Amino acid sequence: MNCTRRNFLIGGSTTLFLSGYFPKISFASMQKKNLIIISLRGGMDGLTAVPVIGDKRLKKLRKKLILEDVLNLNSDFGLHPKLEIFHKLWQKNQAGIVHATNIPYTGRSHFDGQNLMETGAHIPYKEKTGWLGRGLLASNIIGKGLAISLPMPLLLRGVPQNNNFFPSPDFVETKLIDQIYNEFKGEHNELIKSTLDTIRQRPLSMQIATDSDDRKKLALEAAKQLKDQSGPRVAVFDLDGFDTHAAQGGVDGAHADELEEVNKIVTILHENLGQAFDNTLILTLTEFGRTIKQNGGYGTEHGYGSAILMAGGLLKKSQVYTDWPGLKKKELFEGRDLNSTIDSRAVYNSAMSVCFNQDPEFLRKEVFWGDELPDLSQDLFKI
Amino acid sequence: MSLNFYRRVAFGLSPNEKPDKDPLNWAINQLDTIPDLLWPGTIPTEKDLRKKYGEWVYGDREVLRKKFKNDKHAYRKAKDELRIKTGERYFELNEHAIRHFQTKYSKQPIFERFWLFWGNHFAISEKDFLAEFSTGPYQREIIRPNMVKTFEEMVLSVTTSWCMIHHLDNSESFGPNSKKGMEWGETINENHARELLELHTVSPNAGYTQEDVIQLAYIMTGWAHKWDRKNLETGDIWFDQEMHQKGDKVVLGVKYKNDAKRELAKVIHDLATHPICIKFVSTKLCRHFITDEPTDEMINPVIDAWNKSNGSLIEIHKAVITQAYKYNEITHKFHPPEIWLMQLSRMFDLNIPLSFEKMNYTFKIKPNNRQRQLSWILREIGHSPYRAKQPNGWSDLEVDWVSPELLLRRFWFASVELPMLVKSGNRSHSFILSCLKNNFEEHENMASLIDNFRFGTSDYDLGQKYGVICNLPGVLKI
Repeated sequence: MNCTRRNFLIGGSTTLFLSGYFPKISFASMQKKNLIIISLRGGMDGLTAVPVIGDKRLKKLRKKLILEDVLNLNSDFGLHPKLEIFHKLWQKNQAGIVHATNIPYTGRSHFDGQNLMETGAHIPYKEKTGWLGRGLLASNIIGKGLAISLPMPLLLRGVPQNNNFFPSPDFVETKLIDQIYNEFKGEHNELIKSTLDTIRQRPLSMQIATDSDDRKKLALEAAKQLKDQSGPRVAVFDLDGFDTHAAQGGVDGAHADELEEVNKIVTILHENLGQAFDNTLILTLTEFGRTIKQNGGYGTEHGYGSAILMAGGLLKKSQVYTDWPGLKKKELFEGRDLNSTIDSRAVYNSAMSVCFNQDPEFLRKEVFWGDELPDLSQDLFKI
Repeated sequence: MSLNFYRRVAFGLSPNEKPDKDPLNWAINQLDTIPDLLWPGTIPTEKDLRKKYGEWVYGDREVLRKKFKNDKHAYRKAKDELRIKTGERYFELNEHAIRHFQTKYSKQPIFERFWLFWGNHFAISEKDFLAEFSTGPYQREIIRPNMVKTFEEMVLSVTTSWCMIHHLDNSESFGPNSKKGMEWGETINENHARELLELHTVSPNAGYTQEDVIQLAYIMTGWAHKWDRKNLETGDIWFDQEMHQKGDKVVLGVKYKNDAKRELAKVIHDLATHPICIKFVSTKLCRHFITDEPTDEMINPVIDAWNKSNGSLIEIHKAVITQAYKYNEITHKFHPPEIWLMQLSRMFDLNIPLSFEKMNYTFKIKPNNRQRQLSWILREIGHSPYRAKQPNGWSDLEVDWVSPELLLRRFWFASVELPMLVKSGNRSHSFILSCLKNNFEEHENMASLIDNFRFGTSDYDLGQKYGVICNLPGVLKI
């Protein structure tokens, strides 16, 4: 079919605010809930990951990038063949998509865009903290953030004592830190000092030496930590390479390689979280989507609307949640990009409210400056 | 003046250097000329390495993939052999050696710090095989000679360099109304134009629009590598009139008449002398040498020097150093891992890089572990210089360099790896004390923290000592 705007607009929920919030005290809410964000840097192409099926215009504009063998989700959307785990989880109501969504940023710069996807703000470089860090702080969840990367992502900044896991090749004696800890005096040494605090409190399993090139090992350790009832509640993975200006390809191109990485991480998390997967939400995050039209190098340019890939037991059901804008020229953003009809921050705000047992209204004010972000918890997640 | 000035603007003092009576003068006098590259080993030219790059991609893409299309294992084996034959696994290691030899022994270490700065301002991020074959020579042949010219000349050289054009895909950008654009139905790739505005010159503060990006991309169409069947994308850069968008263009409100290859120099002149560009780049310079959040009072004299000298980098550099000197005692600056490593290497005369004889490569067997050591260390401490993740290069902000793992990596290097890099004549406790005295006002306090190990000279003892010293607040941060 040719999808047109509002063909499958869902229940008016994108314009309705829920009038109240009633936290449920139940066994389920006593269980620790995990929120895992996978950052896809470079601009993930929502139309490659979750292509709309049978759209003639897309076929025409992307002659060299069209996918064969897409995995069917429903009559309107398919899934890139490298995203097998999402397809598998879809059958169990544990995977879903939000499509034609993005942060409200249309500038098409990676650096501004990545800054904004992490800060959740409107003006690049203005905010120095990430929405996830602020959400944790507002929910009074301290020292429960875990980044699977060498630097601390901006996304998690804003709450103290975050941890990261990306071990060195040899064991490091932390008693060295004890010897110099008291030398860190004064305000200008605060950041280093508080980071040393975090190191000193790390669990033993994180003090191992390993090969940090092996994403599998990193994801395994993350799963192990997240599974622990007293462990981290939030984990952030960082992937880059989605900026496929050239040789983007279809089933096997540069974009496919990146999607395969996402698939690998989610597969390992799913396998190793065990029961804890039921209390987990995994969401992707990117700075923008890509142009509909392929460019001179059989790649795509920076665009606007993209998609969020979701997995985990806290999803309400398998669905492609969207207010589809259509792909006709006049339906595109500035005549070239998939439009964004859902502010992706609404999805993240709702996800935080579910995972942190927090009122979405409260979070919206504390984290996103009271921006108009509808509560999507009831549509997307188990509450 | 505190001894830390030698680390703020350079790499500290080596055991045979002494502080100068007039540190500001000492620093400023290092900026008028380009110091020779000191590495006694091979320093290949950009063109030589591009040829190797060409042999590698041609051999792999055009020959091996076809030849072994049905035999994965044979293909892999042949590919590994080609890697060795073309030096694909070697040249980046050699580049790191050239770079670190320079920062360790240069008589003009201040110049070398600016070299690192500009190489990172006009960063080549990790893409294809650039880090292996191209980024190093680009730093030497494009960045370095322009450091005694104007900023505008630097921008023009960078923008038309093979490395940057390949990095930002300008060879794939066709004017839609150009001869080839029409024939092949191709259009622009706006990547390079966007970064020229955003990262290299005016920054988003200039308020340019999507249309400005497109118009600049039109001006840039035609600047591409000369493609042929044998060299593929590694041909020289030329201006291909048949790719160039015809007609007038307008960027940031300025009209550029249809003037083929001459359009680019004109628009770069306007961008590189734009007041917002001057402020943006001056701020970055002050951020690098003074503090993460430089104030207008710190930046303004740099802007003045820029304006007075019409963008002479020599004058700009002198103004930055003068400001760094002025604010030395009241500001703090955190150093990223590579600069920290370079400083440790110079202050404690560490055995990196490996001697040029041992770095020699035969193109017959893969590089050995010793040859790979420096590059491996750089990677493990989180700062492999030619592999920035994005075209905006490495961050200059402390927050981006402080995480549990990044700090642990420094403890790891200082306590585990560094002892193996201490020269045999330098293992005594008194050597460490003399280096500390040469570089730190607070050397007595530092010495007291390692006093327990004063009799020890084993690798373990050295690890305990350097593990402490190298991670003290005054070493991580000026």
